[in-house]
Amino acid sequence: MLDKIRYKRLFRSNEFVIFLILLGLSLTIGIINPAFFTVSTLFDTLRSSIVFLILAYGLLPIVIAGGIDISFVAIAATTSYATHMFLLNQGYEGGVFLYYLIAGVAGIFAGLLNAFLVTRFKLPIFDVSLAMFTMWYGFNLFFVGATANFSLPKGTVGFYNIFILTAQDPNVGETGLHVSVLLALGLGLFVWWFLKYTTLGRGVYAIGGNREVAIRSGFSIQSIFFVIFGMMGLFSAIAGVTQAFLSRYFNPVIFITQPLDVLAAIILGGAAITGGSGSIVGTTLGVLVIQVINRALILTGIPVEWQRFVVGVILILFTSIPALRKLRAKRMGHSNLVQSE
Amino acid sequence: MSEPIIRVEHIRKKFGGVVALDDVSLAIYPGETCCLVGENGSGKSTLIKIISGVYTPDEGDIYINNKHYKKLTPIDSIGEGIQVIYQDFSLFPNLTVAENIAINHQLAHRKKIVNWREVEKIAREGLAKINLTLPLDELVENLSTADRQLIAIAKAILADARLIIMDEPTTALTQKEVIALFKVINDLKERGISTLFVSHKLNEVREIADRTVIFRNGKKVLDQDARGIDITTMEYHMTGRKLDSTNITFSPPGDFNSPLLTVEKLSLQHAFKDVSFVLRRNEVLGITGLLGSGRTELALALFGELPVDSGHLYIEGESALIKSIQQAVRNRIGYVPDDRIQQGLFLDQTINDNIVISIIDRLITKIGLVRSRVKKDVSSEWIRKMAIKTPSGDLPVRTLSGGNQQRVVLAKWLATSPKILVLNGPTVGVDVGSKAEIHELIRQLSSQGIGIILISDDIPELFQTCHRILLMRSGRIAEEYAREEIDEQYLYQRLIFSDNPTVVASEDQWNAR
Repeated sequence: MLDKIRYKRLFRSNEFVIFLILLGLSLTIGIINPAFFTVSTLFDTLRSSIVFLILAYGLLPIVIAGGIDISFVAIAATTSYATHMFLLNQGYEGGVFLYYLIAGVAGIFAGLLNAFLVTRFKLPIFDVSLAMFTMWYGFNLFFVGATANFSLPKGTVGFYNIFILTAQDPNVGETGLHVSVLLALGLGLFVWWFLKYTTLGRGVYAIGGNREVAIRSGFSIQSIFFVIFGMMGLFSAIAGVTQAFLSRYFNPVIFITQPLDVLAAIILGGAAITGGSGSIVGTTLGVLVIQVINRALILTGIPVEWQRFVVGVILILFTSIPALRKLRAKRMGHSNLVQSE
Repeated sequence: MSEPIIRVEHIRKKFGGVVALDDVSLAIYPGETCCLVGENGSGKSTLIKIISGVYTPDEGDIYINNKHYKKLTPIDSIGEGIQVIYQDFSLFPNLTVAENIAINHQLAHRKKIVNWREVEKIAREGLAKINLTLPLDELVENLSTADRQLIAIAKAILADARLIIMDEPTTALTQKEVIALFKVINDLKERGISTLFVSHKLNEVREIADRTVIFRNGKKVLDQDARGIDITTMEYHMTGRKLDSTNITFSPPGDFNSPLLTVEKLSLQHAFKDVSFVLRRNEVLGITGLLGSGRTELALALFGELPVDSGHLYIEGESALIKSIQQAVRNRIGYVPDDRIQQGLFLDQTINDNIVISIIDRLITKIGLVRSRVKKDVSSEWIRKMAIKTPSGDLPVRTLSGGNQQRVVLAKWLATSPKILVLNGPTVGVDVGSKAEIHELIRQLSSQGIGIILISDDIPELFQTCHRILLMRSGRIAEEYAREEIDEQYLYQRLIFSDNPTVVASEDQWNAR
């Protein structure tokens, strides 16, 4: 009996719906172009998802707490690009680790600045992030540099093709799964654990559900915001550095068009824009759906511009499912009676 | 007699020049259900806030568990086992039942990591203490108001409450749910947990109180054993004047042959079925029923907010189609919602603006500007007619008391000169004094020719205002009475117990206590 309820809940969950969408999409594309069902497509899709996943994992807790932030992409661009230019000036020849360390620390500070402005001056999260978005990109272009930089330190050049798994693909020959998949996986697991098993993480949901009550219950809004914004800054920096090494150049305006795509993936993953809900599994599936659409449109020969259109249509369809459900529940729930006939 | 849990002596609290509490003393003993009654502004909420440590009194002493507190903080108050259940219940709608119950425990013990097994265990224990089973992994947003309240109580008990303060706990509950709540309060009593029950509803106070305390204008005017205090006495002490509820004059309603409104076989899936009735001119027609009987849906359907699946409406004999609010307004049907704050008023706008909002199209010039002169004249006339107590119509509605806010809602609809007015719980959350005045107003309106449909589960209210009363059950009109045929007790019985034998049984136990 209880199991039945559990299954029913699973089937009605947002995660399950988005999983079905992902499955349906993949099958459709595979039927149109069997080339989709190859190891190389799988590895490529995952590779292009890595950075988006990391960005989305960093943003998710803020969305759950009821905030919308777009500055994370600017933090990613500025921390990665500035770190690179700094190390290049120093004549650094080592590996990627120092990049992650310096950019990561800078990212945390950038995130904490958002949190400080939001908690200290009671500014709306979105307003602060809008300002920071513009400010960081501007800072990067004006003070650090305005052109893409292709000269990588010796120790980092090989990073782009370190694979944890390789396979033979009949069409393209040897193909591999990049090691940074593990990075995304690890960060995802960490946020999942943070949101589900720490009191701070539950506080994130509590704030999103009812901020007043959260304060009254004794959650420290300030410390929760500092933690989740710090995390967002760190994750953004990691994403920025990873993206640069995967594409083998540093771009001062990287991701500038992407913040809404990441937000779309999170919403597609079942998070409410008003806060209070959202999950790592859903977010992961949301990112994958967008990446699969992206890849599919290339494989089926549909112009790339269509990708945005299709994602938009899916978002509308998907977000209207819970709304329809609520509407039906409202009609039914106005009275709980069961008609005698 | 045992030591009181809390004793306050000679409390005085001023806000600016206004004395909110004047030399008030009160003691609450273990296992006691103490009812605190008073009109809005009588000082009830100030006292609650002093007991819970939110306000510091200007003068007076507080003793909790025999310990003297000169300055009581909320932390002290909670530490001494005093828990306030606010009207919003302090719950998280997006979290599960289990987590809502256990979350304070988690925070109080400064746990950094969540152990979900323990959360479930704590929640189960908490619910068991009030003999309740609820699905632990259901989200609170999917629960009824009554269940949410019980969760709030379970939370309070888990915090080792010795005194639970309930602020207007029955406002959003149906009669059945009120009975369930009273059972919980009595269970608490057996555990030695006291309840301070703050309410407007005098019949409930009579039912649950061991001791009744009445405040008026910041002073305690009555504090005695609840037995032997009847509702009239309570009303007298609350208002300081005699409210005459015995010889009300009802204006004679019109003829059945030329009705104002005829409703034929109205049906809406999952709400009501084959509802037929007539409303005469000059008549107040009461529609009552439990929550879920379809009464609210019927009200919304008559106002076009829930379009019906089938059935016909005739206004003054002519067929009328009402599928939208606009059509209802065009047919001169007005609707006063039960939640005036959310659905009826713009609290931060002025009284004038609120009154004229529904007739704004009649007050604009050719180029679309509002004639502010005319607007002011119209609204001051309504302020006078409805006796809204305010120094100026330019003040925001927020500054008015509940009773006066309700008058603004009524004025807003009366300004449209409706033929038919649907009132849904017009005095929910309104104090006794204003309530009597609103009832008088309803009778006056009906004598002026407006047909009124009054949806309410407040039985005395129905008897104060209605010519006829329809009783809804499971989406159908089950019974119809003329007011003279029956008395309040009989209607109460019919409303609650007729279709549910198990409830009758528990009610018997209830009476046997």
